[in-house]
Amino acid sequence: MNENNKYPKSSIFRPLRHIKYIFKKPVTHPLETIFTKKNADYLKGVKVMKSSKAKISNPRTAPDNLRGFHINDWEKCIGCGTCGEICPTAAITMVERHDLPKVAGKLQQRPVIDYGRCCFCGLCVDTCTTESLKMTKEYIYADSNPDSFQLMPTETWQDQEVEQAYVKNEDTDLLDLERVEMEHIEGSERINSYIEVVRGYSKEYARLEAARCVECGVCTASCPVQMHIPMYIKTIWEDDIEGGLRQIYETNPLPGVCGRVCTHNCETACAIAVRGEAIAIRWLKRYIIDSAPDDMYKKIFTEPVSEVIDAKVAIAGSGPSSLSAAYYLRGLGYKVDVFEEKSRAGGVASFGAPQYRIPDYAVEKDINFIKSIGVNIHTNTKIGSDITFEDLEKKYDAVFLGTGFFKGRVLNIPGADHPDIMGAMDFLPLTRDFARGTLKLEDMNVKPSVVVVGGGDVAFDVARNCIRIQLQKYGKANVLLTSLETLDILPGSDDEYIEGKEEGIKFRLGYGPQEVVVEDGKIKGLKVWKCTRVFDEEGRFNPSFDQSQEEIFEAEQVFFSVGQAPDYSYIPESLKDKVKIERGKIKADEAGKVEGLDWLYVGGDIFRGPDIITAVSDGHRAAVAIDDYLYNKAKKKEQSEYFKEVREAIRFNNPEPALKPKRKRTLI
Amino acid sequence: MNSMNNIERVKEIVEKVAKVRKFEQIDKFQIAFEIEKNDVHQTLSALKLAGWKQLSYLSAIDWIETSKFELVYVLFNWDEALYIQIRAMIEREAAEMNSIISIFPGAKYYEREAHEFFGINFPGNPDYHKQLILENWDDIPPLRKDFDPSVYSDRKFPKREYSVDYSVKDPENKSFEKIKEREKRALSLRTGGQKK
Repeated sequence: MNENNKYPKSSIFRPLRHIKYIFKKPVTHPLETIFTKKNADYLKGVKVMKSSKAKISNPRTAPDNLRGFHINDWEKCIGCGTCGEICPTAAITMVERHDLPKVAGKLQQRPVIDYGRCCFCGLCVDTCTTESLKMTKEYIYADSNPDSFQLMPTETWQDQEVEQAYVKNEDTDLLDLERVEMEHIEGSERINSYIEVVRGYSKEYARLEAARCVECGVCTASCPVQMHIPMYIKTIWEDDIEGGLRQIYETNPLPGVCGRVCTHNCETACAIAVRGEAIAIRWLKRYIIDSAPDDMYKKIFTEPVSEVIDAKVAIAGSGPSSLSAAYYLRGLGYKVDVFEEKSRAGGVASFGAPQYRIPDYAVEKDINFIKSIGVNIHTNTKIGSDITFEDLEKKYDAVFLGTGFFKGRVLNIPGADHPDIMGAMDFLPLTRDFARGTLKLEDMNVKPSVVVVGGGDVAFDVARNCIRIQLQKYGKANVLLTSLETLDILPGSDDEYIEGKEEGIKFRLGYGPQEVVVEDGKIKGLKVWKCTRVFDEEGRFNPSFDQSQEEIFEAEQVFFSVGQAPDYSYIPESLKDKVKIERGKIKADEAGKVEGLDWLYVGGDIFRGPDIITAVSDGHRAAVAIDDYLYNKAKKKEQSEYFKEVREAIRFNNPEPALKPKRKRTLI
Repeated sequence: MNSMNNIERVKEIVEKVAKVRKFEQIDKFQIAFEIEKNDVHQTLSALKLAGWKQLSYLSAIDWIETSKFELVYVLFNWDEALYIQIRAMIEREAAEMNSIISIFPGAKYYEREAHEFFGINFPGNPDYHKQLILENWDDIPPLRKDFDPSVYSDRKFPKREYSVDYSVKDPENKSFEKIKEREKRALSLRTGGQKK
């Protein structure tokens, strides 16, 4: 409260203000104007009131902040149940309403209030996440049937529009709508190295942030693996890092990666985000992983994991979907071999996302635990040359493919075949090796002025990497990012845009590249036309351009970040007709089983896409499907009670398809 | 009217009779002293003599973690716009504070209230144990932090079974059952925290 407004200013004339009330008529209203018709009729019919002719038949209208009967705007209400949670008299219960649509950020339930218990304290209104629950000026309700005191608030009271009274305001709101600030390395400092941009929460800050969570769980359905989000946030508040770690590993074996680079749809769906800033779920997960010492990981499985099922699974690639499949298959009791063509495991986490977002040590922490439970990862082993696909088929009982989209794409425009032009996925793996020191600065082909084409997060990864390399190479940076999409529909995340801008990316959004201008074998620039629309009326990608607004963005090099492509050269001829590929992705059933091939499963970018956490969910589903396929056929050893439970949990936690929340735009 | 001098004067009065553990200026019209339990009576007497003739309120705070009750005496002066809070910590176990009715007779009711809501005894007040507001209370005093209102209300006012059902259920939709099962599993993985 403002110190100046806390006490009224004193003045000797102050009492005179009240003189006006001498001439005021007392306020009375007929019953009908105050109460709903039903209640007015009822009251008029009551004998006592009839006979007394008392003024009671003309009661005063209620004051503006009266805590009367509730109304609840169902359009706004998300069924979070926070009102029921806080109710000191346990008067509010949530009832299932399956007639409501199942959408991200909402639960199919609504509050019902027992007015035999309600004490009209208004805490439910103060804690309502959406401001949908309000109190009205209605304060009389009478009925001879006790059952009618259980009421479900809707937008109206007794089917009538009524006046609002007690509603939330800044002083009474019990929710903390502002996120505990996360420390970032300053833009001018971070561009000089590959130091991680986000510092991570301290214990104190993590607990403060965790305390903002209302534990409603509307977020979980938006998470592709349905992590136990409110539960692990609570462990932070209780300082139970071990419990949090175990809960996280139930549904996500790559929490260190996801705690940094997840697309965090959970935060978009967060109940607090309806009016304020979402709980920093991603960073809280990262806090648990960062604060869990290595020896605590031994407690995730309290008994050593071993092969109890005599069946082997081969996994091609070691990206998120592969590692997830490997982890769960291992937990289910299988022998698992992972084959990776590159020198390190991790796929996109080790070679795609930039080092300043996800440093190697974080990826390694996740992978080391997966290795420690007995998953064999064979790096530098390319399928097709070091080991043949037929070998996998022969030696293993099932094969999982998670080879990802690791080929860069370049737009098919004149000049795009110039050797200095690169696709994002050809460039980003090099930057990771450069950040690690395995590639030298002179190996990095980045020119002093660069145009990056694309508006997604990957385009930002390319641009921000270019800035870092240019600074080291030339002492100054010159990077222009251009995309078809203007800022209001830019597919990249807000964080990337803000941070990219801080780091010095220049933006020219809303242009379509037409030609790479090459003179004397050197790139001079990128010719663009103004993009007048990206999507057509039916919402399909169908850009159109205004040729009269032609420009040339001068640059010595162009990077394209216009999507990635798979490499299926390892799939042998014998299987080529059986594996159906549609728009670059392999056709398979919900769980990733390739049609017609019981032993072949797919996940990640080559199956569903588009992000790491969805790949993790693919791996989990495939592991369960492989278990379905192999378990009954294979010989089994005696299992301990503990591992029976683990198997059950892995199968039970098999993720469902996630609900996709609508992105909220905060930039313009 | 009110100035820093005024506050300095009060400080002097209090410091003369009590060991001040903490002084706090809440705002321009309110100040607070935290003193020892045994100094409370002398301090209140001294302040009464100095013009703070009215005891506006007496209440308590339950600091259950440190096992203390904090008593707060709020004094008011009709001539000077300055509220004074006198705060003192007492043990929570068998909580006891000598009555102040010899200084402020009106405290009689406040002490009864504090007894009823916190269970603090006030020897010297002949009526402190008498019922004041709560009728036939049969639980631990309700403003103690270890009092659980929902357990109490469930015990005293059993939930009524209503015949009205507002739910609309699709027998195929098991999402809430699944959520409950998942919660149960996740709860079993907790270790109870490192604090304890």
